[in-house]
Amino acid sequence: MATAYPGTAPAAAGGPAGRVVGRLAWGLGVLAVLLTGYAALHGRFPFPDVYAALPDRYAWVEPAALFDRAYAWVVANRNTSPLFLYGFNYLSVGLGSAVVLINQALTLLAWPGVVLLGVLAAWRVAGGRVALLVLAAFAVFGLTGLWNEAMTTLALITTSVLIALLVGIPIGIAAGRSERVERLTRPVLDFMQIMPAFAYLMPMLLLFGIGNPAAAVATAVYAVPPAVRITAMAVRDVDAGAVEATTSLGSTPWQLLTKVRLPLARRTILLGVNQTIMLATSMVVIASVIGAGGLGDAVYQALNKVDVGRAFEAGVAIVLMAIALDRVTAAAGSGGAARELPPGPRRWRRAVLGAGTLLALGAAAGRLAGVGWLAGWPDALTVSAAGLVNAANDGVQALVGTWAAGFAAALLAVVLDPLRTLLTDSPWWLVVLAAAAIGHALGGVRTALVGGAAILLTGLLGVWEFGMDTLSQVIVAALVTVSAGFVAGVLAARSDRLAAVLRPLLDAMQTLPPFVYLIPVVALFGIGRVPALAAAVVYALPPVIRLVNDGIRGCSAGAVEAAVSQGSSRWQLLTKVQLPLARSSLLLAVNQGIMMVLAMVVIGALVGAGALGYGVVFGMAQNQLGLGMTSGLAIVCLGLLLDRMTQSAART
Amino acid sequence: MTLPTAGLADRPPTGRPKIAVRHLWKVFGRGADAVVGSETAGLDRDTIRARTGCTVAVRDVSFDVLPGEIFVVMGLSGSGKSTLVRCVTRLIEPTSGQVLLDGADIGAAGPKELRELRRHKLAMVFQHFGLLAHRRVIDNVAYGLEVRGMPRPRRYERAREMIEMVGLAGYEDSRPGQLSGGMQQRVGLARALAVDPEVLLFDEPFSALDPLIRRDMQQEVLRLQRELRKTAVFITHDLSEALRLGDRIAIMRDGELVQAGTAEELVGRPADDYVRDFVRDVARTDVLTAGWLMRPPRPDEPLDGPVAAPGTVVREIVPMLASGGAPVRVVAGERLLGVVGGADVLRVIAEDQADEVGRTGPVPTAGASGPPGAERPVEA
Repeated sequence: MATAYPGTAPAAAGGPAGRVVGRLAWGLGVLAVLLTGYAALHGRFPFPDVYAALPDRYAWVEPAALFDRAYAWVVANRNTSPLFLYGFNYLSVGLGSAVVLINQALTLLAWPGVVLLGVLAAWRVAGGRVALLVLAAFAVFGLTGLWNEAMTTLALITTSVLIALLVGIPIGIAAGRSERVERLTRPVLDFMQIMPAFAYLMPMLLLFGIGNPAAAVATAVYAVPPAVRITAMAVRDVDAGAVEATTSLGSTPWQLLTKVRLPLARRTILLGVNQTIMLATSMVVIASVIGAGGLGDAVYQALNKVDVGRAFEAGVAIVLMAIALDRVTAAAGSGGAARELPPGPRRWRRAVLGAGTLLALGAAAGRLAGVGWLAGWPDALTVSAAGLVNAANDGVQALVGTWAAGFAAALLAVVLDPLRTLLTDSPWWLVVLAAAAIGHALGGVRTALVGGAAILLTGLLGVWEFGMDTLSQVIVAALVTVSAGFVAGVLAARSDRLAAVLRPLLDAMQTLPPFVYLIPVVALFGIGRVPALAAAVVYALPPVIRLVNDGIRGCSAGAVEAAVSQGSSRWQLLTKVQLPLARSSLLLAVNQGIMMVLAMVVIGALVGAGALGYGVVFGMAQNQLGLGMTSGLAIVCLGLLLDRMTQSAART
Repeated sequence: MTLPTAGLADRPPTGRPKIAVRHLWKVFGRGADAVVGSETAGLDRDTIRARTGCTVAVRDVSFDVLPGEIFVVMGLSGSGKSTLVRCVTRLIEPTSGQVLLDGADIGAAGPKELRELRRHKLAMVFQHFGLLAHRRVIDNVAYGLEVRGMPRPRRYERAREMIEMVGLAGYEDSRPGQLSGGMQQRVGLARALAVDPEVLLFDEPFSALDPLIRRDMQQEVLRLQRELRKTAVFITHDLSEALRLGDRIAIMRDGELVQAGTAEELVGRPADDYVRDFVRDVARTDVLTAGWLMRPPRPDEPLDGPVAAPGTVVREIVPMLASGGAPVRVVAGERLLGVVGGADVLRVIAEDQADEVGRTGPVPTAGASGPPGAERPVEA
């Protein structure tokens, strides 16, 4: 293609602005070639079924068949192979029992005990306001009749967070202390963090079967990177002077770790724990597709029946749980607050905590003695908002339903379908070349190779059409997210009042598990690709807005002042000074936005977005492991492709 | 390297050195071991860095620290003085050479022995304090005792004493972050003293403090030194601090020890232009003493002039001479050690003034410094 459009070679353009123009021209050139190729050759070169051409002897290399056979082997040998007998089965039973045990402990405490202990703990760690929030969360669990589900989710989160911390913190300490461990872990963590949540599910299913253990491990694996990363960072950033001084007093390495490094790193490590808990919360509801019970399952079931009211109830419960967990653990991390809160004399505080604990124990005793109303949240104490929400939803539908449907249909007909057709019906080699060409424009030869290879691999995995479908959705959602996010970010950077309004909103949105974004979009758009797309945009917007805002506000005040003093207009100031200075933040915003869009578009399969996410869900639901695994791997390929391209754009 | 020991040779040893540093080298970078002892080692720093990629921080340094004295190592930033003091307690491993504590090689100590040395014999005070932000003052001071395994009541008792000694009584339960810089460094000092070490190492301990507080802390160190008589190695880049605190002072440049000796020796007989430049702003009349200037009386001189002790500085001698023509007699007890005449004092004053001019005019010639035939005065 370089021969077709020699004039647009990016090397010809100089300076950052020239580079942007050069890249834009290059991208348009690629698009033109793709369109031309499509017009001339559409439908003539679908991705070939390379495996059919192989002689029978080599037919086994087909990935889907390979995974199917592996699965068949696992099923056949699960109860005989030592690997399972003494390995995964034990682990599975152990994890399953851990979840059950915690769940039983929560049941034993009975609901008044759980509420009491939870609220008191929150009060002790984070003060009165957070305690009220926790109380409200528990009230919602009970009132909506989702108490047992909430407890299951809590038990799952606890189990997987414990696993994640047990594994992550020691590795983090090692990585913080040793350059070599750091160099070994970094690429693994990078890879784990670009893997969309959905891709984690299939392998766990293979190893652990459907159910809570698989969910706990998938959640733990998904949640481990921040535990490692932040612990490593915390340990590395410990005041070198303090370490030197205590070394000079004759501390042993162990004393240095336990008396100096860990205590000094404590706050930052707790921040990592907070992040781990938040990731676990968002994953544990997604893991309901591989059989995790609890609130996620309630949403999943309700969405399957398009029961928006029921999904909404469970969604609110999840949201409250996420926010409560976030506030409590964040307060534990900020340390200073913990010492000053709660107010009142120490003795009084102790008395309250003691009395609360006694009452909770009393509740447990009552539960054991068989007091009826302690056995579970009493049915009389529930109010279902489902009917109300459904009625409201119907009202909204009546009001804007036709508009929404029209908008969705238009979006499908004008943008999504043509783009998908362009990607799937163009000659496959042209698409691969186009990916490589864009990679080359963004990051040079290596990115071109990675881009081309990643997209080729999607085809070789046998899910070319699914992959192109997903890609088309990601492209559209990413364009919307990035442009809307940039506009909102710039506006927020210019107006303190808007920023003040947006900040708590964005904070709240970023704590929400992606799963719950599906609920309102289904209410508005029903089922299909458009609601998934809308959910992806809403999910990915907050970090983009935040990064753009922070980037522009972070510009050197001196440079801005100097530009103003030379008579720049606001537009000139923005385009010539602020945006170029904020470049790294902006590129990070693009990268984050696109990766989050991909993660959400895939989850969108749960509301009928189809494509690769559907491959995963269908594979899991129908025991078609081959399809599930290849779809999962293709998601990873797309993630790699998008991440490398946006990352290398940030580097050059 | 004969220069640094030149000053020491003058001084009659008052006992075995507490610390003896012998041919110490520290070279940073890959293949550092190969540099020492090779031909490259003789080249200057920049050439070595260009050839091997290694940085020579300390180059063949030797000196003795006598029991109970404050030995100051002074140099500009990058002269290797902080690296040198860290080599003493092996926070930085020397590339070659020896550090002897009471004649025993610290470099030969295994990890466990080294820890024992650090826990009992060597304690260090740091420029940026190195306090533990999460611990109270008392737990910071008690840290060294804690890692030794001393039970809590005993170490708290000792820590309280130390806190009181440095004037921080009442702040036991504060956190370091709540204290001012000067107070934090008092905590650092108390922490080092708490283990009752034989040797105190100070790495620019007061450089991060305000000038007024710095002077307070220097007084504090002198006071503690009078009470406790610890052996101390004190690193600084501040000449006035060095003059105020040091029994003897060593000047480092580019990793080398240029000269070591008393303040008088540095000011009165600088080893080279670098040292001369360094001490140029010091008023000789404030540093040089009657003992340094005195000479045997000439036969024709009257011996009825005023009497001064050998430690009297020139500034105090001037008014004595103003009253009459007879030279000042320098006596120790009943014994006449020598005399200081008006011409001797005038020469010192003239040198000070030449330096004032020298800052704008030409540098005075080397011969101008040091009294002719001045010998190291016999201790009184």
